[in-house]
Amino acid sequence: MTDGRAFGPETQRYLDGEPSTAPAAGDRASADRLVGLVRSYAESLTPVDPALDEAVMAAVRRRGAVPQGRAGAWHWLVTSHRVAVRPVWVAALAAAAALVVWLVPRAPVGRGGERPLALAPAAGPDTVFVRFELVAPEARTVAVAGSFTGWRTDALPMVRGANGLWSVTVPLPIGEHRYEFVVDQTRWVPDPTAHAQVDDGFGGRNSVIVVGPKGLVRS
Amino acid sequence: MEPSDGTLVRRVLDGDVEQYRFLVERYRAQFGRYALSVVGDRDAAQDAMQEAFIRAFDALASCRKPDRFGAWFFRILANQCRNLVARRRDVVDLDAMDLPGGDRADAATERSELAVSLETALARLTPEQREAFVMKHVDGRSYEEMAELLGVGTDALKMRVYRARDALREMLGGTP
Amino acid sequence: MRRLVVAALLAAPAALAAQASIEGRLIARGLPADLVQQVQRIATEAAARGVPSAPLADKAIEGWAKHVPPARIVSGVQLFAGRMADAGAAVRSGGLSNPPGNVIVAAAEAMGGGLAADEVRSVVRAAGSAEEAAPGLSVAASLTAQGLASKQAVSIVVDAMQRRRPMSQLLDLPSVARSMHDQGMSAGEIGSQLLPHHGDEGATGRHGDRDRPNNVPPGPDPAGAVRP
Repeated sequence: MTDGRAFGPETQRYLDGEPSTAPAAGDRASADRLVGLVRSYAESLTPVDPALDEAVMAAVRRRGAVPQGRAGAWHWLVTSHRVAVRPVWVAALAAAAALVVWLVPRAPVGRGGERPLALAPAAGPDTVFVRFELVAPEARTVAVAGSFTGWRTDALPMVRGANGLWSVTVPLPIGEHRYEFVVDQTRWVPDPTAHAQVDDGFGGRNSVIVVGPKGLVRS
Repeated sequence: MEPSDGTLVRRVLDGDVEQYRFLVERYRAQFGRYALSVVGDRDAAQDAMQEAFIRAFDALASCRKPDRFGAWFFRILANQCRNLVARRRDVVDLDAMDLPGGDRADAATERSELAVSLETALARLTPEQREAFVMKHVDGRSYEEMAELLGVGTDALKMRVYRARDALREMLGGTP
Repeated sequence: MRRLVVAALLAAPAALAAQASIEGRLIARGLPADLVQQVQRIATEAAARGVPSAPLADKAIEGWAKHVPPARIVSGVQLFAGRMADAGAAVRSGGLSNPPGNVIVAAAEAMGGGLAADEVRSVVRAAGSAEEAAPGLSVAASLTAQGLASKQAVSIVVDAMQRRRPMSQLLDLPSVARSMHDQGMSAGEIGSQLLPHHGDEGATGRHGDRDRPNNVPPGPDPAGAVRP
């Protein structure tokens, strides 16, 4: 499969712990080695800090009670873009140590959301504006390259905004599109907010979005 | 005798929020290694867990089978871990990493070289493969358990685990 | 092999013209002559099996842009050509006798993502036209890649088409599935939600004609959820 480095089916069953398996000697040695590595890794894991319990309970007490009914559930949903607090992992949780801002919230995109780049295709009834975003504070340049740029890496440069958030809004025809971000002109990076990641046929991945006439809804 | 998940959830819903602590303790122990292995970075994993517990509390009224709180919570946790890894990937160049996470406290405790390379290799798996591999080999779960926790069929899970094994074998250098 | 070459020579002028434009495109994008020749050879052989050439050129260009080593580009293009041949057969058996290239590509990508030939056939049959087949296949493929069992993804798409849902609703499904995933729902739960009349009351308790479900926070117990 991968240059002969795949485990055969018998070895996979051996690794699953199934009885009466007879993997080939070389495969078996390789399999045992992997198991040994995992054991060593698992043993090296120190447990999650029990101070976590108190941090959770502090947040729970601030709420007073479980948010009731649908309103409670919606509160949870709506705050998908809220700020997360990283506590100081010591006994006295006197003050929050730092604020970490996760990804900037995105509104659903539709027609005329952002000012588009002057770029073919022109907006028509079957094209929709789609906004691409990537958090990459260390990057010098970021671009989108994909089926809609003929995989050209210079067609859709992104603009850097606050907190290292790069973005660009592009008119795209409805339907499926494959793409990745290109960081510093050399590193191809998938879009974690895309609908799916698929094999690109070269051992890598492409991000896939399916765009409907009403645009993309992203959380 | 330890109260069941269902009992604890019902007490919390009835207003005794302090009881939630027992659920937190229970599932921190049960799923902690999963979070650590899947996320890679200790602080980030703990953040993900904390966030997951808080979200679970906020949504507790919609947990339809309180006796199965664990599996329900696991979904939330897996989701948090996945989101967090995806966001971190945007920022961190995995290829340039020697040590994943950059957790200085762990660097101080002497982790074997072997353990570090596996962690780096795990970070390069797809999220689904990494989750499945960790559940199978770090947590030691059966495919049936995994199916119940992840809501995915055992065939698909086996495929993910098999592919993860092959990928790890390739990354870690094959036969000894 | 000889038969294929002869068949290729007898291929319609359009196919030959297509190959000529492949060469031009690949060269224009900077692919080295050697690689261009290999891709062209694959395209010629594939054309004899009814496989469109332009997507093969796209694939080669993609590989080149990503700095994939030429040998791997060749094997990637070869793989894609084979997939498109299989996909073409599946699409034709679904009732589209002369499918346009974009339908074959959509079917090939879908099969690359795990859809079986008979599943492709089902979608094409339910679509009834090339205009609907391509998006239908793309949505089924996306849902599958998003974690739903292919069988379930196909059922959802076929169901929507049979109910004459507008294409806009169909194309929204991957976004909806993504939102549900981000809210913590499992793939099995998402699948159940998107197929409103699926007989799985225990897990979701949701019925009705709506094919765009509410965004529901995690709740249903996984033990009661559908196993693909």
